[in-house]
Amino acid sequence: MVVVVSVISWLPTSQAMTGEHDHQAMMAKQEKPKPDNKCKNAAIECAKTVTSAFAPNGDLWRLWVSQERLIAQISQDNGATFLKHKVLPIPAEKISARNENRPKIAFDNTGGVYLSWAMAREKKYTADVRFSYSRDYGKTFTKPITVNNDNLLAGHSFNEMLVSDNGDVSIVWLDGRIAHQLRKQGKQSKGSALFLAKANFKNANSNKTAVFTNQQLANDTCVCCRIAMDFNQHGELAILWRHIYGDNIREFALLTLNQNEDKPKQPYQISYDHWKINGCPHQGGAISVDKLNRYHMVWFNQGDVGKGIFYASSSDEGKTLTTPISVGELSAQASHPHLNKNNDNIDIVWTQFNGIEHQLMHQRSIDNGKTFSQAAVLAKAKNGSDRPFIIKKENVSYVSWQRPKQGHWIEAL
Amino acid sequence: MNKLTSRCLALAFCLMFCNLSQAQNNAYESKGFELQPFSQDAFTALKQQKLGVRWLMVVWSLDCPACFKELKLIQTLQKANPNKRFEVIYINADDSNEVEFERKQVLAVYGMQNVENFYFVDGQADKSRYQIDPNWYGELPRSYFVDEQGVFHGKSGLLDEVLISKWLLDK
Repeated sequence: MVVVVSVISWLPTSQAMTGEHDHQAMMAKQEKPKPDNKCKNAAIECAKTVTSAFAPNGDLWRLWVSQERLIAQISQDNGATFLKHKVLPIPAEKISARNENRPKIAFDNTGGVYLSWAMAREKKYTADVRFSYSRDYGKTFTKPITVNNDNLLAGHSFNEMLVSDNGDVSIVWLDGRIAHQLRKQGKQSKGSALFLAKANFKNANSNKTAVFTNQQLANDTCVCCRIAMDFNQHGELAILWRHIYGDNIREFALLTLNQNEDKPKQPYQISYDHWKINGCPHQGGAISVDKLNRYHMVWFNQGDVGKGIFYASSSDEGKTLTTPISVGELSAQASHPHLNKNNDNIDIVWTQFNGIEHQLMHQRSIDNGKTFSQAAVLAKAKNGSDRPFIIKKENVSYVSWQRPKQGHWIEAL
Repeated sequence: MNKLTSRCLALAFCLMFCNLSQAQNNAYESKGFELQPFSQDAFTALKQQKLGVRWLMVVWSLDCPACFKELKLIQTLQKANPNKRFEVIYINADDSNEVEFERKQVLAVYGMQNVENFYFVDGQADKSRYQIDPNWYGELPRSYFVDEQGVFHGKSGLLDEVLISKWLLDK
């Protein structure tokens, strides 16, 4: 009877025609796709995305998804070799791990491991932000909980997470609850909203006592670009995201959260490239705050005014900005930039494509972003490319770059 | 269960819930349909085949809400103009074997299963994109208005209904 079920669910019913999101409801009833047999062993080569981070004890963790499970692997020599990978003891669910949207991992200073991810729900473009915590360095994990507290079948994804040494968890994500409510009222929405959740599980008496707060930080954000955030020198969160200004002008915005005052700080527009698009750029930015509280940022735009990757910095939390510097070769498809400030170095990585292979590119500034070294190719990929990320271990920066069907590349800069 | 029995069952079940034309359509759908993998050769052949015709090439993705609006827009226009031939080619940009079923579901929902469809092969999205247009950076939806001489005019973002109508209907 499989055929009958399939036929019914494929019917272009009136329900399916009521809106761009509605078709997913009926799709949920259909048979599941066959898994890729080549990738049953959870090999990292099969992963489209990999998330990496150093733990306070110096271990390098890398995390990916296979068959709806989170897989983790630890290296004790900065990525030269890895211990056997481990399927984390978290029940299978539909974990998003594609392009800009992927699981995150963070640590506290007493062996706590924190995971967050987006779990796709039964309707297209709906998901929940999920969270699980390990007190014992990954041996056991708490039962995953949903971070967004609206209980709505709406979009909640593109999660980013930071955890302080004492276990203060901050998760930001793109939230569709406002757009969902507007749609129900027959009104148009413009993008998503930026939300923040905070909790501390380490200091809680039991795991069940900690509850995530939910706070709206902004509305009218782009719906498909990753968020970036870092702690500034006052322990405040600095968040960079792609915002929708006016009539679909997609520019980057920055907000610093002030934890000591009731009055929220002013968000600032960072890019002025005038990229007008009613669609999905699929390219978020990156931010890194240095010891003098200078914010270093990088982004990608395709606007009338500015095209390509740009770097700029701000010494006043985004109120004023240095003149953006163009990075990479636009004609070589330079895109997906990431950056990090470490000691006197500002490192920027990005990918380029020459029609045959991808190149992982790097350039460094040692004069606080005034000038950069000539761009150099660090590595190449033959079968596609994930976004590159710079992660830090004390004073050394490393690049993590997943190359599907080829292997995960990680090396010190 | 052989194929014939499957189709008969499907048709009988559908007849209980929908009109005859729907039943026929869906019995047809139950045979399944195949998308073509995008390649340089296939693209060259497509461009050659379409010379002399004004057509629209729409690149869409499962991760792009605006893409679904565009698919719906074209479908609505098609329904409103049943006697007109719509020269539209669709390319799904999700280069992952894991989405094979999901992309077909979408095509069926938007009535696109009987038109020419391509998809980017697993791991080949950037290569395919480059073959189409080295000055396109992956933003979606991405549409190309192709004139009778085979000249491509690219546009990113959701298309305006008037623009589509003018290109496809006012020939």
